[in-house]
Amino acid sequence: MRLHRIHPGIDQASIRRHPARLLRAAAIAVLLILTLLPLYWIVVTSLKTAREVILPIPTFFPRTVTVENYRAVLDAGVLRNFANSLITAGLSTVISIVLGFTGAYALTRYRFPLRFNTLFLVWVLVVKILPPMVLSVPLYELFSSAGLLNRLSGLALVYQVYTLPYALWILVGFLKGVPKELEEAAQIDGAGPGATLVRIILPLSAGGVTATAIFSAIMAWDEFLFALLFLRRPSMLTLPLRIANYITEYETEWGRLMAIGVLSSIPLLLLTNFTYKRLSEGFTASLK
Amino acid sequence: MVAPTVGVVAFLTVYPFVTVFSNSLFEYDYIAGTRTFVALDNYRSIVSDPQFVRSVVNTTLFVALSTSSQTIAGLVLALLYYERFRGRRIATTITAFPMMLSTMVVSAAWRTLFHFDIGPLNVILQRIGLGRVGWLINPDIALLSIVVVDLWQWTPFVFIMLQAALRTIPREYLEAARIDGNGTIGVVSRIVVPLLGPHLLTVALLRTIDTFRLFAKVYALTGGGPGNATETISYYIYREAYRYFNLGRAGAASVLAFGVIALVAAVYIPRLLKEHP
Repeated sequence: MRLHRIHPGIDQASIRRHPARLLRAAAIAVLLILTLLPLYWIVVTSLKTAREVILPIPTFFPRTVTVENYRAVLDAGVLRNFANSLITAGLSTVISIVLGFTGAYALTRYRFPLRFNTLFLVWVLVVKILPPMVLSVPLYELFSSAGLLNRLSGLALVYQVYTLPYALWILVGFLKGVPKELEEAAQIDGAGPGATLVRIILPLSAGGVTATAIFSAIMAWDEFLFALLFLRRPSMLTLPLRIANYITEYETEWGRLMAIGVLSSIPLLLLTNFTYKRLSEGFTASLK
Repeated sequence: MVAPTVGVVAFLTVYPFVTVFSNSLFEYDYIAGTRTFVALDNYRSIVSDPQFVRSVVNTTLFVALSTSSQTIAGLVLALLYYERFRGRRIATTITAFPMMLSTMVVSAAWRTLFHFDIGPLNVILQRIGLGRVGWLINPDIALLSIVVVDLWQWTPFVFIMLQAALRTIPREYLEAARIDGNGTIGVVSRIVVPLLGPHLLTVALLRTIDTFRLFAKVYALTGGGPGNATETISYYIYREAYRYFNLGRAGAASVLAFGVIALVAAVYIPRLLKEHP
């Protein structure tokens, strides 16, 4: 409340004193509307009947609010796609954390010959920058001969192309900040290297691990290219693929399309505040 | 302990890299299973392929328009949100929403918004007497429409980064500049932009990297069309490899794309190493 007295809000008196403030309020309002309209459109379309969706003049408020689209997509097995996305995101996140954490630990604690540490991290960045399409052909052949196509585990593995570089860079940053003396103390107390890693280092880098987990989950949830190339069996499709199939197969089944959109957006929207904080914290943390 | 990590990275990147390079030197038909060494013929043939040239032009345009518009829009937003006002927290959260949606959801929504006959945008335009626009079906406009979608989705990212950067500028600098008689535009151009310079460059680089790989939006919104008006380099590689099974030409296009991104990396990586030694 005290803040408001120092910086008064947009009351009548201050508007007269500060036309600039009114202008700013108007600009923010317009931009918020531009942000919200497509979101509103997604939600409202998902609640319209199939007939209302294809009216020549779209309705701003649905005449009849219905959950029939949600029921229809659930009956059509969207929960299966939801589960596939969840499993892939979960699995690829676990792989990234395990490999990212052990790899980052080794890279910060041991100096490998021939400047391997720096070269490896730079290589990983080059991979991160590269358009994934460039590596897709050999990866397709590789995964095909390893019998990993049409498998969520294969997809989780190939997602490491995106998530592992990110995990390594975040965790190297965090692990550098963990003093070596703590490990030495643990070792003197008789803890083995594994116990030291799990009981001492892991809790101290919890922030980095959480950040890595959430960002790899978001990336995996959003990924489209490798899912398109690697998954053919309908029961294996992830949510983005299911949406793409809806777009290309049914020109105007918009109600159902948007119902899937709403269902697949809920988990991500819950993470908005976390993502906001994390991106605010710094530029190096945001390789995305 | 580093072995499994290095192993996975090598498996996923080193072998594919070598293969892409070697594929680009062969006439390689995946279906027929034939692989003949042709040296640089694939390169010669794609650089004289009008479709490849078009995909390079499209990608360049898309990267330039998207990155610049998002950087400017993100900066404007960050400046608008600089002073405290009632409801700033909730407004900030709402502003961040678009980048939290998955790309396919965003594409699906805009595909319906852009629909020629019953999409709300055209209905509104017609209502106010401007006539319909072929957002995704007019070859002169389709790429710009994808720029608009990317702008809507990713400006929030630039906004959040620049908002954080703006907090590093001491408030007194801005006040002093005002007292010296600068208007808002003067303060922004003389103080804010120069001081944010490195941050603006970092954000623009991150957006360049992301927009350069544009594929999913094109797939969902236009399929590369009309004609090949929205075909990007990634889409060109996709078509050569997975529709025509011409892995040699796909490989050559990939190597050229890698060459471009290596230039970006040459700017970006030293900056990152300096910030994060």
